[in-house]
Amino acid sequence: MTNSIHDLGGVHGFGAIPRETGEPVFHADWERTVFGLMMAGMGTLQVNIDFVRSQMEATPPTEYVRLSYYELWLRTLEKMAVDKGAVSANDLSTLARGEDVALDKTTDPFPPEGMAGFVAGGASALRPLDTPAKFKVGERVRAKTDSPATHTRLPRYVRGHLGEIVRDAGGQIYPDSNAVNGDDQPERLYSVRFTARELWGEDANPHDTVVVDLWEPYLEPTP
Amino acid sequence: MPHDHHDHDHTEPPSDLSLRVKALETALTRKGYVDPAAIDAVVDIFENKVGPRNGAKVVAKAWSDPDFKARLLEDASAACAELGFAGLQGEQLKAVENTGDVHNMVVCTLCSCYPWPVLGLPPSWYKSHAYRSRSVIEPREVLKEFGIEVPEDKEVRVWDSTAELRYLVIPERPAGTDGMSEDELADLVTRDSMIGTGVASRA
Repeated sequence: MTNSIHDLGGVHGFGAIPRETGEPVFHADWERTVFGLMMAGMGTLQVNIDFVRSQMEATPPTEYVRLSYYELWLRTLEKMAVDKGAVSANDLSTLARGEDVALDKTTDPFPPEGMAGFVAGGASALRPLDTPAKFKVGERVRAKTDSPATHTRLPRYVRGHLGEIVRDAGGQIYPDSNAVNGDDQPERLYSVRFTARELWGEDANPHDTVVVDLWEPYLEPTP
Repeated sequence: MPHDHHDHDHTEPPSDLSLRVKALETALTRKGYVDPAAIDAVVDIFENKVGPRNGAKVVAKAWSDPDFKARLLEDASAACAELGFAGLQGEQLKAVENTGDVHNMVVCTLCSCYPWPVLGLPPSWYKSHAYRSRSVIEPREVLKEFGIEVPEDKEVRVWDSTAELRYLVIPERPAGTDGMSEDELADLVTRDSMIGTGVASRA
């Protein structure tokens, strides 16, 4: 779901940045559990990070803006758990009403003793790529104006705009395919610098820039 | 409750949320998809063990040790790993240095991407619709809300970290700190200064 409200860059009207006192990492126990369910459950639900993002973005825009951060995670977890056949929506509703249901164990969870190593080890998106780079550092490129209905990480506010390649970050998992079918067939990632005036017009500060990391299929050469 | 003012927009009372979360946790636990002890373990890591103190140590070392700073600018993930900071959402760290000519700041306009091993989980404002929407179009107005005024002729460079590269801002070292130890310097490095919405200062 590419052209939706999650793609917030440049949208007007959200007002002052909301600051809070104390800035707790979590505001309630349910937020802790939602974060933990996502971290511990992605592997057993067999969902990758790009698929998870695509499911969050598929939330209807009117609902997306209304939900708090971890409410959006919760909605997405519920949807994925049901869609993947782990639980039924009916059983979730029954449990939430405080009634019990019989549920048999069907798989094995990620072991608690492995969590520290999983977090510390990470999971790099870097992948070997034997095709030559289409663009060189310093080259001018244009971000394409594509509007795929499936997942993409090409923000709308750079589409159609001219930028300059400032870094070749090598082969990386391509989210557009990884989100759809788990195919992490890599594409080259570049850091592309746009001037604020190119993106926002003549009233923008002439010195300011925005750097966005964009995969090669998002870019086209300039004449 | 410290939970900020956009709470008023929420339609569901927290008790319903708690019940929904409990239902999901119960179902996934009984079916074998999660072990509640794994939830506790990962929450403990990000609530109590990993946080911006890690990034502050990295910055303080970069200010004190030119060789480390060179390694940090070349390959930030490797340099941070020297100090024991590595892992999820830090696999491909990039350090960007504030100078007299450039002020860097970091956002993720599409979701909430953030360099977890050096800064921990992001604060609520970083994930807010307001910060995500405004940082790329009016970064100077955003910075003013954080008390930062960047001279008109100095570049504000916004890094929209929507891929899997994660950015750590190295703030400018405050004047008058020449004799300070790394530990003393680390105390000057705020989390916001490593996102670019703050500066390191002696105050």
